[in-house]
Amino acid sequence: MKFYTRHFRHETGTLPPGLIRKGRFLFSCCMLFFFITPAFSQTAKITVTGTVRDSTAKGIPQVTVTENGTKNATFTDGEGRFTLKTGPNAVLLFTSIGFIDTRQAVGDGKDLSIVLSHSNSDLGDVIVVGYGTRKKESITAAIATVTSKDIDRVHGGSTVSTTLAGKLPGVTFRQAEGRPGASASIQIRNMGTPLYVIDGIQQDEGQFNNLAPNDVESITVLKDASAAIYGVRAANGVVVVTTKKGTTGKNTINLDAYKGWQSFFRFPKVVTKTYDYLYYKADAEMNTGGSTSTTQAVLDAAKAGTDPQYRSFDWRKYVLGNNGAPLNSVNVNISGGNDKVNYYVSGTELYQNSVLGKEYNFNRTNIQSNVTAKLSTGLKVGFDINGRVETRKNPGVPGGDDYFLARLAVLRNTPMERPFANDNPQYLNDLGPHLESNYAFLNEKLSGHFRSDWRVIQTNFHIDYDIPGIKGLSVRGLGSYYMADELENNQEYTYKAYTYIDSSKTYKATGGSTNPWRDREQIKQINTDVQLQANYTNTFGHHTVGATVVAERIQNHYTRNWLHASPQSNYLPLITFAIMDQYQDADNTQARIGYIGRVTYSYSNKYFLEASARRDASYLFAPGKQVGYFPGFSAGWKVTEEPWFKALLHDNVNILSDWKLRGSYGILGDDNPNNTPIVPPFAYLQGYNYGTDNNGNLLTPSILDGNTVTASRDRGAAVTNISWLKSRITDLGTDFSFLNGKLTGTFDWFYRKRTGLPGLKNDVVLPLETGYNLSQVNINSDAQYGEEGSLAYNGRIRNVGFTISGNLSFTRNKFLSSYNPLFFNSYDQYRNSSEGRYTNIGWGYICIGQFKSQEQINSYKVDIDGQGNKTLLPGDLIYKDVNGDNKIDDLDQRPIGYGYGTQPNINFGFSIAANYKGFDFHADFSGASGYTWYQNWEQRWAFQNNGNLNAIFTDRWHRQNIYDLNSPWVAGKYPPNRYNISNHSDYTTNSTFWLHNVTMFRARTIEFGYSVPQTVLKRMKVQRVRIYANAYNLFSLDNLHQYGVDPETIDDNGLQFPQNRVINVGLNLSF
Amino acid sequence: MKKIVSILTITTLTVGWWGCKKDSDFLDVQPTTFLTTDQVFSDPNLALTVLSDLYNRQEDLTSLDGYLQPYSNNTEPGWRTMADFSESFPSENGSSYIVSRTGWGYDAWRLDWTRAYTYIRELNLFLARDSASTGLSVADRTRFYAEGRFLRAIFYFEMARRMGGVPLITRTLDYDYKGNVTSLQFPRAKESDMYDFIISEAEAIKNDLPSDINEKSRASKGAALAMECRAALYAASIAKYGAGTPSVALPGGEVGIDAAKATGYYNAALTAAKEIISGAAGPYALYNNGGDLSDNFANLFLDKASAETIFMEDFKTGGKTHAFTTNDQPYSFSDEGGDAGRLNPSLNLAEAYEKLDNTYAPFATVDGGGNPIYYTNLQDIFAGRDARLAGTILLPDGTFKGKTVDIWAGYVLADGSIFTSDEAGHHKTLPGTSTPVQVVGTDGPVNGLELRSQSGFYIRKYLDPTTGSGRRGQGSTVAFIRYRFAEVLLNAAEAAFELGDPATAAGYMNQVRARAGLTTPLVAADITFDRIVHERRVELAFEGHILFDMKRWRLAHKVWDGAPTGLADLVSNIGVATKHSTQPWGLWPYKLYNPASPDNGKWLFKETLPALVTGTNRFLFGNYYSLIGNDVIAANPKIIRQPNQ
Repeated sequence: MKFYTRHFRHETGTLPPGLIRKGRFLFSCCMLFFFITPAFSQTAKITVTGTVRDSTAKGIPQVTVTENGTKNATFTDGEGRFTLKTGPNAVLLFTSIGFIDTRQAVGDGKDLSIVLSHSNSDLGDVIVVGYGTRKKESITAAIATVTSKDIDRVHGGSTVSTTLAGKLPGVTFRQAEGRPGASASIQIRNMGTPLYVIDGIQQDEGQFNNLAPNDVESITVLKDASAAIYGVRAANGVVVVTTKKGTTGKNTINLDAYKGWQSFFRFPKVVTKTYDYLYYKADAEMNTGGSTSTTQAVLDAAKAGTDPQYRSFDWRKYVLGNNGAPLNSVNVNISGGNDKVNYYVSGTELYQNSVLGKEYNFNRTNIQSNVTAKLSTGLKVGFDINGRVETRKNPGVPGGDDYFLARLAVLRNTPMERPFANDNPQYLNDLGPHLESNYAFLNEKLSGHFRSDWRVIQTNFHIDYDIPGIKGLSVRGLGSYYMADELENNQEYTYKAYTYIDSSKTYKATGGSTNPWRDREQIKQINTDVQLQANYTNTFGHHTVGATVVAERIQNHYTRNWLHASPQSNYLPLITFAIMDQYQDADNTQARIGYIGRVTYSYSNKYFLEASARRDASYLFAPGKQVGYFPGFSAGWKVTEEPWFKALLHDNVNILSDWKLRGSYGILGDDNPNNTPIVPPFAYLQGYNYGTDNNGNLLTPSILDGNTVTASRDRGAAVTNISWLKSRITDLGTDFSFLNGKLTGTFDWFYRKRTGLPGLKNDVVLPLETGYNLSQVNINSDAQYGEEGSLAYNGRIRNVGFTISGNLSFTRNKFLSSYNPLFFNSYDQYRNSSEGRYTNIGWGYICIGQFKSQEQINSYKVDIDGQGNKTLLPGDLIYKDVNGDNKIDDLDQRPIGYGYGTQPNINFGFSIAANYKGFDFHADFSGASGYTWYQNWEQRWAFQNNGNLNAIFTDRWHRQNIYDLNSPWVAGKYPPNRYNISNHSDYTTNSTFWLHNVTMFRARTIEFGYSVPQTVLKRMKVQRVRIYANAYNLFSLDNLHQYGVDPETIDDNGLQFPQNRVINVGLNLSF
Repeated sequence: MKKIVSILTITTLTVGWWGCKKDSDFLDVQPTTFLTTDQVFSDPNLALTVLSDLYNRQEDLTSLDGYLQPYSNNTEPGWRTMADFSESFPSENGSSYIVSRTGWGYDAWRLDWTRAYTYIRELNLFLARDSASTGLSVADRTRFYAEGRFLRAIFYFEMARRMGGVPLITRTLDYDYKGNVTSLQFPRAKESDMYDFIISEAEAIKNDLPSDINEKSRASKGAALAMECRAALYAASIAKYGAGTPSVALPGGEVGIDAAKATGYYNAALTAAKEIISGAAGPYALYNNGGDLSDNFANLFLDKASAETIFMEDFKTGGKTHAFTTNDQPYSFSDEGGDAGRLNPSLNLAEAYEKLDNTYAPFATVDGGGNPIYYTNLQDIFAGRDARLAGTILLPDGTFKGKTVDIWAGYVLADGSIFTSDEAGHHKTLPGTSTPVQVVGTDGPVNGLELRSQSGFYIRKYLDPTTGSGRRGQGSTVAFIRYRFAEVLLNAAEAAFELGDPATAAGYMNQVRARAGLTTPLVAADITFDRIVHERRVELAFEGHILFDMKRWRLAHKVWDGAPTGLADLVSNIGVATKHSTQPWGLWPYKLYNPASPDNGKWLFKETLPALVTGTNRFLFGNYYSLIGNDVIAANPKIIRQPNQ
């Protein structure tokens, strides 16, 4: 070994330093199995001394130093020094929590210098799994974890989900919305909405998103059979969140504050000059009907710009006027403890404003208090509280989405339209049908008030007691009470809009709204969860066994009322019975019971086995059919612990320090796929629903004899033969660590087969005249499968420590089979079958080009527009006549996209971190591919809905002289514009011209920080001071930039509230 | 130790609390909107809630709240169901397909089969449960039973007039899970069976229903008779006029009725009508509250106490309202920008209203020499006409809610050119002047400008003058009248005429006409088939009759023949039943601007085809009976297809 090592050094000693490292790495990997010499033993003991340091060359105290394979061990002192007597060829093992286990041969034993790397993957860490924790090294399941240090840096939104882009292999991410308080859509392996568990309690997505990110200690995703322990709701994986707890030791006060400035990452552009608007409008009208009322004289006047009626107004600038809207957060937390009590108490205030205006904002105050007290030997009680007030405020705006009209204003209002009559801010200008998108009235003064407050408190009380007399046996009781309260008040005012009468110099009220709207919603959600748990764990020689049993009862109670009224005046916010005309009331309860068992076994830290089962009962099903059993198994083999493998490596941990193979299989249930109960609640009951249909939708009452009579409807035949669907997940994975833990990674392959998706048996077809359907049964199946992996490299060049890590995941969903599918003909089968096909297919024409000339159109054989091509002009789209029948119709459509609004099939993340002395740098990137954005409406044709012209359409086919129908055509990207025509063959059907399969790679957080050195801090009597500047969404490389939309947007009109680009400065302070 | 004890006690109590509720009890969550069948049928108020839902689920092709589209849960707004057949123009971008298409698909107007028979099943269940109930009084039970049968009959009538004969299911059908469904497969009934069923049901239940003219929203004797009368008239005319379209029939009689049966049905219709007219079902009468005749006619649809209304769908604030006024009020009256003006009656319909001397004439826009006729007042051109014209249609300068509608298309200059704007209500400077003036009406017409009239007219029938009725959040409570006394009179007139008694027919028709100001009575010799067709069109416009009337008279393929409607077509043959009407025209007022002319500032009119009218209505033989879908036939092979499809 020595020989070869020396040889190696000799060989590489002449190479430049960069290549050395590279060479060593390659060499290590490739030559692993060829350069082995047998170990030989010696008996004489030598005294070994040395120092253990971290990557900053600081000594590490309390490191365990063990002569490998023996019980001979010692600890390092306060400066990291140690002394140990060993055999001369011994190998020392250095272990310390938070560092990678490191082995080193003693050599001559004199002043060894050992550098321990911080473990990036924290193999020694404790990972939270269902109903317990596990040491990372004994994990046998596909689990990914992200900790506070990775999510605290992300200041791009206000919710927890927005921090997760690219952070976790196997977690897909799409944030289509960026409005204040918006969240991202995240899924585990695209399996559907996951179950969220926060501090042991099953919760919903909203509760997850609105925790203070500062209070989150870790987020663990259970991606495989390990989720089976959560039973009937776990089929889509589980996100387990743990909040921060106090640590024994010093009391620390931390302050984490930042201020950010937001701007729209991207938003469509429009023409902003009246001349341009009129010019393109005239062009479009000429193309539409061969004539236009906009004459050359008008254009000339507009160009001259002297006539006030041709002044230009830039609505985009006006609406997006609050550029740099703040996103601020201040978190103060105090944590600490002693041997009796530890605590973490925290308060966070977050404020997010909108680019669309100062009056559109989101505010959240979070508190968290986690206290645990040790009452006596073996008895601990804890009380964890988290609460928040979440406020959304904006003007009361007509229509469902209060942020929509402002965005629409950018695209719809033309440069000729002005917000105020005669530019007098006292008089809102009547823009006719565009009045509602006159941004000038979308404020609290004119359009009203909207405010929604969620007030949420969750309290968890838990007792842990170690049963005396039986080593390793403990019991735990957990009670949780959660209350969420919403109060929403919305008042939309009546208002007047004016037209300026030039002849009389007066303002005449010509429009506005006489329709007041007042609504109030109150929701109370109360969830209780009681868990009784017993744990046993013990080690007998090489055998470690563990067992957990849990009984859990969950009850969710939801009440809601909503009312609507028409106030007599804008000045009267109170609602009286006389003005109220609608009232809705709901009161729903859900109940679930679970009994959970799990046993674990490990041998010599080498073989790991785990089996769990949950007996779950759901209220959704008929009595007697409510119970199901959900087992899961997993096994792990730590190959590097095998003596023969160590021998193979000759104990050289520098090469392959850790290698584990693992596999898991489990059966999980889902009674609520896609957040919809698989069967309507109480479908097993026969009778009548009072006031609603089976899905809980309100039935319209009828007016009989002048009275409003509530409607009741027959519930239909009782449904008793449907149950939850079953999801079987197989996962094979490996975790590895090379180069003394510098290079770590993990790889997983998985396959989830779901059976029992609801479908109909068609052996018997009931005549429709019977008036009812045979109920659905659990009959169809689908599969979700893919791979994911991650790699991280921890290194140091002189004083610069750095980490590079990346992850990549791929997943797809395929429908497997339905029961005896029937098709009318082979085309029907081709077009409508889902058997064995990928789900989420977008169909459309294949665009093979654009017509170059009228002659080409005239002689073109294929009927593109269904009207003998008489509606076509040069530049119009040519579709592929797939079936060769010389006409384009449905039969020519082919799969061209991944479906509307779906999660990406491919996700990846990449991050670089480096530090030098007090400076640190982080750059996180994330990317995605395998999803589709549809270009439609404002993004597909010009002047949609008599609006302004989207600037992308200025690059279009047009005549050289737009007024001369015989003038030559000039090529452009888009077909010739028509004026607000949507039923042209260019636009009516999706085609490859309008569908874009997106690939994007975007910068997430790029951060520079500086920590004040210890020497200065000592004088200031503080522990830590760090300042930083960070940018979120600085740039993106993708194929949607040319349309002016964010690459993650979903809405096909491109008007969705995009993600923000945020520039932040922040401060971390610890006392 | 004491602490441990107390903590353990608490833990024990927790476990105890856990244990005190069995799992099955914990999971036994009760729904909050659930009633057992027994509970429902032992309380008349609860049974009425079931009827309430059944009343609500009647299908109307034309209504104020909307028409539920087959095979989807989309509701077409009520106005759009009236905007077809060239009787009106749809002034909404998203609805211009109505005037750009070249006819109707065979699936037009069909009912959703699944939805229909689910409703029938629930009606049959209601009847079975009601008759089996012991908790209801005999009076309640009997009345509910009759109401259920009424709703079932009226629904089968709706199916018959759209699709002809359909399987007549009068009991609940249940699958026995034995693998054989032939016992559940029923063939289509004959079209005549459908009408026979409706007539016999009406006769069977009429005396179990209240004979009370104030009972308008629930079934009454009057409603049963009105339904019977209309159904019999339909059957009779299909028998008589179906002979002229022999290809619109099926050999088994599922479509088409033997001509020999016509007389019997006409007699049945006349008998039922006479029973109502005689007052046997209550003192129904034409609405005649004096005052302006046009206002009186409009008020008939607003006054829920009207003695003319026999059966209606009612609306009420806080319960159920509709958006008809929101959608269709004139633009300048709108409560919110963007919600107005969608339904614009056509000139085709407007000119059909007679002059007071019982003659037909187009509106006089030009004199014999082809020169424009100038009018001092906008409304002068409409003077001397049937009062129902202004009662049904809001004319230029017409009054609504105390304000006048501002409809005019622009200026005509001295050289005959038109000076206007493509923006409603726009101010511009007229040639040779310096001060901008308004050059077009705030309510239109501007070609292609939605929500403003593009025909020169707005709708008045059903338009609600109540404050706030046009607001989105509030809505209108104007009732939709399904049966009214005037129709019964016209039914009687038609039946009498077809039975060879034009004098009686004239008597019935003159009552209706006199209320409209046509005080010169028609005599027996004046009564022709064309007169009957005409009278129903103008009296019952927008009430959901035109399609079904044209179908039963087998006129549909003649009136909507697919040929474009030229100006010459438009202004000739008014009052002729077969006059074709395939495109909705408008009548646009202009103001003359010619300071040199004595007519300066006066009004002239131009017949105008709105630019968006690019299609024509073509009614095919296959349209007479709406398509029965493949899904229906695949599930029941005994169902045969419609003719000509």
